[in-house]
Formats: sequence, structure tokens, C-alpha cells
Amino acid sequence: MTAPRDPGRDTAGLLFAAEMYGVQMDQLAIVLGVGEPQARRVAAAWRARRYAESARLGPGMPWTWLTKAGLAACGLRYAAAPPALGRLAHLRAVVAARLAIEAAPHYVTGGGYWRSERRLRSRMGGRVGLREHVPDGEVHWPSGAAVPWAGECWAIEAELTPKTMRRTVTIMRELLSRTGDYGCPADEVRVPGQPPRHARAVYLCSAAAQRVVARARAELGSLGARIEIRSLPPAAAMSAASRPAQRETQ
Amino acid sequence: MRRVAARLLGVAGLAVLVVAAAPVSVVACCGVAAAWLGGWPPGRLYRAALWCGPMLAVWLAATAVATRSLTGLAEGPYLAWLAMWHDGAAGSYPQAAAVIAPLAVPAGLAVGGLAWAWRIWSMQTGSGGLAPGSAVSFDRRQWRHQARTAGALIAAPGAVPLTTRSDSIGVGAVIRVVGHRARKIAAIPYSRLRSHQVVIGSTGTGKTTLLLRLWAGFMATALRRHAAGQGGAPLLVVLDCKGGADARRIADRARRVLRLAGARSTAVWPDEASLSLWTLPPDQLTTTLVDLIEHGTGAAAYYTDVMEAVVGLAVTAPDGPPACVADFLTRLEPGWLTAAYASGGYDAELALARSAARQIGDIALRFRTLFRRLGAGLDGPGDLSNADAWYCILEGTAEVSVAEAQARALVDLLASYAAHGPAGREILLAVDEFSAVSRRLPVWQLYERARSLGLAVQVSAQSWEGLAADEDERYRIAAAADGGIWLLRTPRPEPVAALAGTRKVTDTTRWLLGPGTWSRGGSSRVRDAPVVDPALIRALDVGQAAYIYRGGVTYLQVKRLVSAPAALQAPATEAPGAAAQPEEAARQPAVTRERPDRAAASPARRAAGAPALPDASSLLDEAFGPEPTS
Repeated sequence: MTAPRDPGRDTAGLLFAAEMYGVQMDQLAIVLGVGEPQARRVAAAWRARRYAESARLGPGMPWTWLTKAGLAACGLRYAAAPPALGRLAHLRAVVAARLAIEAAPHYVTGGGYWRSERRLRSRMGGRVGLREHVPDGEVHWPSGAAVPWAGECWAIEAELTPKTMRRTVTIMRELLSRTGDYGCPADEVRVPGQPPRHARAVYLCSAAAQRVVARARAELGSLGARIEIRSLPPAAAMSAASRPAQRETQ
Repeated sequence: MRRVAARLLGVAGLAVLVVAAAPVSVVACCGVAAAWLGGWPPGRLYRAALWCGPMLAVWLAATAVATRSLTGLAEGPYLAWLAMWHDGAAGSYPQAAAVIAPLAVPAGLAVGGLAWAWRIWSMQTGSGGLAPGSAVSFDRRQWRHQARTAGALIAAPGAVPLTTRSDSIGVGAVIRVVGHRARKIAAIPYSRLRSHQVVIGSTGTGKTTLLLRLWAGFMATALRRHAAGQGGAPLLVVLDCKGGADARRIADRARRVLRLAGARSTAVWPDEASLSLWTLPPDQLTTTLVDLIEHGTGAAAYYTDVMEAVVGLAVTAPDGPPACVADFLTRLEPGWLTAAYASGGYDAELALARSAARQIGDIALRFRTLFRRLGAGLDGPGDLSNADAWYCILEGTAEVSVAEAQARALVDLLASYAAHGPAGREILLAVDEFSAVSRRLPVWQLYERARSLGLAVQVSAQSWEGLAADEDERYRIAAAADGGIWLLRTPRPEPVAALAGTRKVTDTTRWLLGPGTWSRGGSSRVRDAPVVDPALIRALDVGQAAYIYRGGVTYLQVKRLVSAPAALQAPATEAPGAAAQPEEAARQPAVTRERPDRAAASPARRAAGAPALPDASSLLDEAFGPEPTS
């Protein structure tokens, strides 16, 4: 016997998949708060309405992403495309990070809001230059929330593979010194004297990337105080998607 | 009598030829007239003739197809000429023009070019013209025509691009060239802006317009190269050593212009942004701090040595270098220094601190006074990587000694940044009227340091005398300007003009027999003439400049960059020299002032500074577990 479907959850799932470029079935199940068989049925219903496409793009569970019609139904003006094969592991890691932070009680208490990379890029309107680094997500904390960090904006970075020290330091500096929103005029991107956009940057690292990120933070000097380093959730690994789902649905 | 007859015969023959080849003559006359009016070089007419080549080729091909014989093709021009006359006689003038145009236009332009070249040559050598002063008035008139053409060119929107695909920076429209290749647009390769340059021009001659154009060109080109992976990110540092309201107006203009060039941020120091002297490496910090204090020689040298020793003790204390002015001043106390070095293993330093105890109070007083006068601009937070461009205003006119100390500190900060900062950054240091503040750091020394660090230095001054303190230094600066010298109107251009060298010119003498009548005899000689005419420099109009490079000169009309409208009025600052406002600082997420070697400490330690970021580990630990230990 299948659980009755919640239209609100359906919509949230559609929006989630749209914001994150695409989700794997086990992660979709967590978003929808159902088991994997039920998640498959939901995805099939989306496909039937031509809102989504599904395919097995890489190892593990199939991926689901929104079509042009699905994005239009969500009121999002993103370019419809399947998740890029080269970014599958990264996309999964970012989705896992989002799911992990959104599941934390303090997140709910603080009324945190996840602003996805896709949304940030969309705001930039294709003007992302080589010098612009866009974080994997932002978490906004409304002012007045019952958490000490209320009013802050955090940059979230998922680091699966280690970059060079110099590149990592450059990205950290850029994240911490940026003052303007993504898509703002060029002269507002970094205005000396203005408060930085990101109060802190949270680096979620794989075991391989932790060392470089930690050294890069040390290299930053006093700025490094605004870098938080944590491990990626175990579910972030692509191999986790190929195992039978062991997580409890929410 | 016979000579007059021969001359008349020659004139008559020429007239017949002109009439017979009437279409070519008409086009040639039009070409010469246009070149005279526009002040064009003959090459422009030759190029126009070459551009008519396709038309001629099509006409020849059509003739060959129509006649189907080589003879017909050879007869084509003659037949066209005949047809033109017949059509003309019949009153069909448009048809006559169309028939002969494919032949007459290129030929006429080429003939016109030759005639124009001959005219210029005869005037330059002094062998042409009816009156003795014809050559001089011809040159003046041509200058006016050339300047008018250049002015018309820069008035056209988009005619002078700021940067080109070949990494050149468009500066303006060419008026005249001597020893350089004649072009319509004056553009200099990017590499010249990566070399030292000198700009000299009096007030109101367009020097600021030129400098803004060069800075914007540097920024736009360097950003494009950086995006293409061909170079490092650019950093422009301007030291405006005059100060005052005018400097702030130019800073605002520079910010707007650089914004259009792609710079994401332009920091105006010390009004809106600050730098931290305390980020210098300890050894350099000691030297800089000692140099900031004015000290003499002779008996004063003893005092200087004591001061250097005490500053060294304060900076290289076991607890690490000072993080701010207050921290540094706290250390200039005998008790603090003794306690700092009393932990064992520092016997020599401890002995030094005790022996200098009597002077430490005086040294602290001098530094306290110095930092009060310097303001908060050098006490951080901030470093040069925080902005793409820094416009630093030094009050060299109002407070010379303060500006000298600031200049010294800024140059040391830049040198340290170039040596230890991100590798590959392409830095242009532009200094205006640096001689006003160069008593403690001669410009040539700045040049030498910049050369060793890979910086490009652009020195600008209102006059030759303003370049440096003495003549020897001025010549050293000008001679080292391997990126070229920009000369605007200035009262004494001779020293710079002399640096451009000479060129060979031909002078011709001839006998004046009567009004408008010259004898056919005379002599010519080759002499050396200056490449740059000082009189012409003195007469340059606003916005006109001479670019001297490798023994040649390009006179140009600088294209003014139209910047965006002024930004909304910034919050009022208390006074020039005040750095970040207290409320502004409060908005900044506070960070502890830790040295890099101590920055990797635990979050608890990092949060120890006041006021630190709120601790978010409760959330992060919930979501991702505790911070991993690597």
C-alpha cells in the first residue's frame, strides 16, 4: 500500500530538483520524505506531465531533472538541460550538503534559506567571467531569527577533489571579500569599506581535499577566521548512491 | 627669350595633357584638395587607389568577356576614353562618368597622391612655394588641418576603441607623425604600459584626461588578457601627491572611468579605504617604521641606531609582530620589552632593552606623534588585493612631511605586495608630482625598485622640473622611460625634446629674382633637425599630446573617456585622512588580527578576538559533525 501523495511535497521536490540541476533518486526520496519506490512513482508522474526527465547518467541511482515545461511550471527561467556528466559527483555532493544542513534543527530554528548555485548563475545572466567564482550555494539567515548568526549570509563550498593551494586561497579571498550580490554591477562586486556579502564560508570537504583547504585557510591569516571546515556527509559520495538506501525517510 | 618660350611650351603641353586626361585630372585634383583640407599624408591617397583595384579588375574582366580577345582588352581603356568624350559631347555626363570611372578613379587617386607627395616634399625642402615664407605657412596650415581632422575623428562615437584585439590601447587620433608609422588612430601596445613611462604637461592641458585613458586602457587590456589566461590580474596604484579637493575630484573620475573599463573596485585611500602597515614582513616593517621618522646624520645617527634597535625589539618580539598602532605603541615601553624577552633564550635582546630603556620613552613619543599625524589610513584593515585599483591621495601640498611618510609607507607596502603577494599580478604604479614627496625616496630609487619587482612606473609632472629634485635625476628618469614619453603643452620642453634626438632633413636654397619669381639655381644640404619641435609643443592645444618613442614622435588628439555619471554622494567623512568610519567598521564582520602562522588555531582561539563572529559550530556540528583534524 502506498502512502498518499502530498502535493506540497511534490512541488517542493520539483523546485528542489530545478534548483540543484538534478537529483538522484535516493536524494529525491529524502526530499519528498518517501521511500525510493514512491519517489520513482513521483518521478514517473512528473515525466508523464513532461515536467521532468529521468535517466541513469552515471553510477548509482537514476537522475531526475526538470524539462523546459517543468521549469516554466516552477516559474524559473533556467536553461533546461540534463546534469553535466562531468559534474555528477559534485552535484550529488552539493545536494547531500544541502539535505544535511536543512535537516539540522538549528537550520529550521534560524529560518535558513538555501540559494542555489543555479540561481546565482541565473542572476548573473551569463556574465560569469573567468574571474568570478560562484559558490555552490548560499545560506541566508533572516535577521531577527533565534540563532546567534541571524542576518548573516554564508557561502557553501563542496570540495570533492583538492585544488591547488593558490587557487583555493584565491577562491577563499574572493568569497570573503565580495560585497555585492551576484549579478550586481561590476563596480559593486568588491567595494572597500562595505560589509562583505559572506560573513563566512563553509567548506565541506572530502578526506582528500581537507588538507589543502586547511592549509589555504591558514594562508589567509586573519581572514581565515571566517572559514569553517567540515567533512562532507557520507551520502555525498557517488558510491553511496549505488548502495541500497539505508537512510530513513523524513 | 628662348627660355621663356620653352617654359610656355612646357606649360601648354601640360595643359593639353591635363585636358586630354580630364577624368584623371579631375580625380587627382579632388584627391589633392581633400588631402590638403584633411592634412592627410600621401599614403592615404595611394591606399584609396589600391582599394579601387577590385573595381578595375571587374571592369577589365567584363571588357575581356565582352570583347573575347586580348586585343580588345588592350584597346579597352582607349575605347572607354573615346566613349567618355562621345557621351560628354552628347550631353550624357553621368554616362560619360560611369564609363571612365573604373579607370579614372584609381589612376587619378594615384596621380593625386604623387602630386601631393611632391608638394609636401617641395615645401619641406624649401624648394616650393611662391613666397619665401610659403613653407612655414604651409606647415602651420597643414597642422591646423590635421588637428581639425583628428578632432573630427575623436568626435565620432566609437572611432577610437579603448583596447584592441591586438592588445593595443587606443589613446586618440593621430595629428602628425615624425619617424613613426602614419595611422589614423594612435594606439600603443600594452607592453609599453608595462614599462616605465613619463608624462609631462602643465595644468589644464589634458594631462588628467590622458592619464585616465591610459589607466583605463591598461585595466581593460589587462583584464581581457587575464581572462584569456595570458597574464595576471591587473593592479593599478595611483599616488596623487598633490592632494586637496582636486585630487578627490580626479579620484571620483578615475573610479567611474575604471568601472567602465571593467575594474570591479577602486579604493580611494585614505578617505574610503585603508591599508595595514602591519602586514609587512617583520624585517621590512622595522625598516619602514624607522624610515617614517625623520632623522638626521652626524650625532643624530647614534639616536637613529638606538631607535632602530628599539623598533626591532618591538617588532620581532617573541609574541609576534604588532598588529596595529596601539599594539606597537604599547610595546614601546621598557617594562613591556623586558617582560617580552624575559622568557629565556633572549639574553642579548633583554640586555639591549635594558640599555635602551632611557631612550624608549622619547622614541615612543615620536612614534605616537607620527601616527597621530598619519591618521588611520595605514592602520588597516585592508591590503592591496582588496581592490583592482587604488587611488592614494597624499597631501603633498598641505602637509609635506606627512605625505612623505605616507609615500614611503605606501611604496614599501606595494613593494612587499609585489614581492610576496599573488604571483603574476600585473602592477602599474602611477605617481603624479612625486617630487613633492620624494625627499626620503628619490624617484630614481623607486624606478630601480620597481624594475627589480616587475612593476611598471608611470611618472607624471607638470613640468620638466617637477619630475625630480635635480637635473641628473630628471635625466635618469626620462632616459629610463622605455615605454615612451608623453609630452603635453609645457613651458620648457627642450630637455625632453632633445632626448627624442634628431633626424636628417634637406634644406634647399634658391635665389629670389623678384615677386613670385625664383631662379632655377640653388643648392641643397642635409642637416640634423630635432625630431620634436619644442615650439610646436609649446603651442599644443588642450588635449593634444606628443608621444615620443624610439626616436620618433606621434602628435595626437587624446580621446576623452566619457565616464558614467557620478555615483550617489558618499557618506560624509569627518576629514581627509580618516579611514574607515567607526560605524562602517562595526558593520564589517570583525576578525581577529592574527598572523598567518597563528591563524590555523582552533575556532575557540580564533573567536578570542573581540568582537568575533558568533559561533556557528552548533549548527555545523549537527549537520556535518565536528571540524576534521588534518
